[in-house]
Order: sequence, then C-alpha cells, then structure tokens
Amino acid sequence: MPESRRAFMLATARAAGVTGPILGLLAGTEAPARTEANDLEILSAALLLEHHAIALYGHGLKRSLFPPGLRAYATEFRGDHQGHRDTQIAIMEERGAAAPVPRDDYDFGHAPAGDDFVRLALEIEIAAQRAYTGLISRIRTDDYLLSAAFILVDEVRHMTVWQRVLGLKIY
Amino acid sequence: MAAPLAGLATRADARDYGSAGEVLAEIDRLEADLDARLASLADRFPAATSLARSLRGDHERHRRSRAVLRRRLRLGEAAPVAMPAGSASVDALRALAQDLVHAYAEGLPAIKDAQAVDTLARHMVDDARHLAVLQMWMETEEPGA
Repeated sequence: MPESRRAFMLATARAAGVTGPILGLLAGTEAPARTEANDLEILSAALLLEHHAIALYGHGLKRSLFPPGLRAYATEFRGDHQGHRDTQIAIMEERGAAAPVPRDDYDFGHAPAGDDFVRLALEIEIAAQRAYTGLISRIRTDDYLLSAAFILVDEVRHMTVWQRVLGLKIY
Repeated sequence: MAAPLAGLATRADARDYGSAGEVLAEIDRLEADLDARLASLADRFPAATSLARSLRGDHERHRRSRAVLRRRLRLGEAAPVAMPAGSASVDALRALAQDLVHAYAEGLPAIKDAQAVDTLARHMVDDARHLAVLQMWMETEEPGA
C-alpha cells in the first residue's frame, strides 16, 4: 500500500480510537498471530471504525449536511453500519468480551455541507474498506471471517457510490 | 456455520464450502459466465465496451493470481469452464456479479490459508466494486434488458 494511503488510513483509525497492536497491523509494522485474543482485538478496532462512521452519518443527517438527493443513501449506509456494529458486538459478547463504546469526543463541529461532507463520508468508507481488507486474513474464527467478508462487501458498495457521486473513477 | 450473523446481508441459503478447491472452482465458473455475458453486452451496446473491458481485465488478473494460489495450495490446474449462452441483460449481469461476490465471501472460511485469504479478499473487493457499479447502472437505466 502506498505510504500516503497508509498514513490516511492510520489517521482515520486513530481518530476512531484504534490503538495498540491492531494499529501496528494496519501500519504494516506488526503481524500478530491468528489467535482468539487477536480476533477480539480486530473486532474492537472494527467496532470503533463502525462507531465513528455511525456518528459521522448521524451528524450529517441531523444537520442536513448531505445534499438533499443523497439523504436516502446516507440513511441506508448508516443503517448498514449499525448492522455491522450490532453483529460485531454480538460476536464479542458471545465470546465473553466487552465491546468498546463510541468515543464521546468526536469532533465534526466544522464539518462542511454538500459535496465536501460527502467527501468526509467517502474518507471513512475508504478507511473502513482498507482496514477490513488488511485485517481479514488475520481472523481465525470462521463465523467472524464470514461476517467480516460481508461487511467488507458493504463498505465497498458505500465507497463506490460516494466515488460516483463525486465524479471519481469507479472502473 | 456458527451464529451470529443476524442483520447482515448473508443469504438464508448461504453455501458452506468444504475446501479451497471447491471455492476456487465456483469462482472460476461464475467469473467465466460473467465475462461471457459482459462480452455479449459490449457487442450489442458499444457504450458498455469500456466497462466490460475494465471488469474482464480485473478478472484476467484474478485468474492469473488464482493460478499461482492453486500451485501454492497444491490444488492442481483449474478445470476448463463451459461458457453458457445466458442473458446479457444488466439485471442478469448484476445477479451473476452478486453470486460471484457471495462465492468469495462464503468461501473465505474454507480457504484455511492466511495468504490465500488475503489475496482472495482483495479480489472480492474488486468484484464488490463491479457489483456496485452494475447496481447503480440498474438504478438509472437498463440498456441491455
């Protein structure tokens, strides 16, 4: 992965609250073993990204920052992220682990309206897509691997829709 | 396959693959079918030529990569795939692209090799993007219907 892309993904992951060895895995500086404990670390990191995405979409919808014709997409994608969150919380709880809660200090106060807000949504979708792509081969358990694969498919759809809306290349 | 998967876009009839070879064979079959229909669509609608070329180019790259994976996993060569003469409507392409994406997603747990999972997940990302493009095309018009 080019260094600029990696730096961007790491910045988004940090903003979402991701820390520790998973940040090292995303940075390419650590290669944790495929263990149950690391599955839980990956789940925690993925959940933080989902919390961040839900908060961003919620802010944009509440403040009408998405262009009017795109609210339906934003609502749909927020719902997808909420489904991803709930599924991953259920997996963590099934394994007796405590799921991380959303940060209480997301700072979207200066978020712009219109296409610029769509760009912010695109950035979190790109980060989520790259994070899941980078982490998926480290997942040990079949049920979480299957869930993560379908979540990744959703993230790609979100990313592709916003790229098209912004006139970016999609094929 | 173990729960929980409620709330996700998994299918009620999700396939439980038994081996990496079975997964790769299904990907080969669906990809070849999709490529044949993309070629047919591009023949009938020149506006689809660029899209068809791009998607088939990605698939050609994926096939080469899967051939390397087969050797590494000692699976033997891919079997020849029959080219069906199916519909080349945008909806038929979308349905086939969705089946291909599902084959990747449902097949990953059967791969049992981290490097192969990484490679196939990256292919799945390309194919999920293709699926999204076809879904958006369907939402606007359907020239191939």
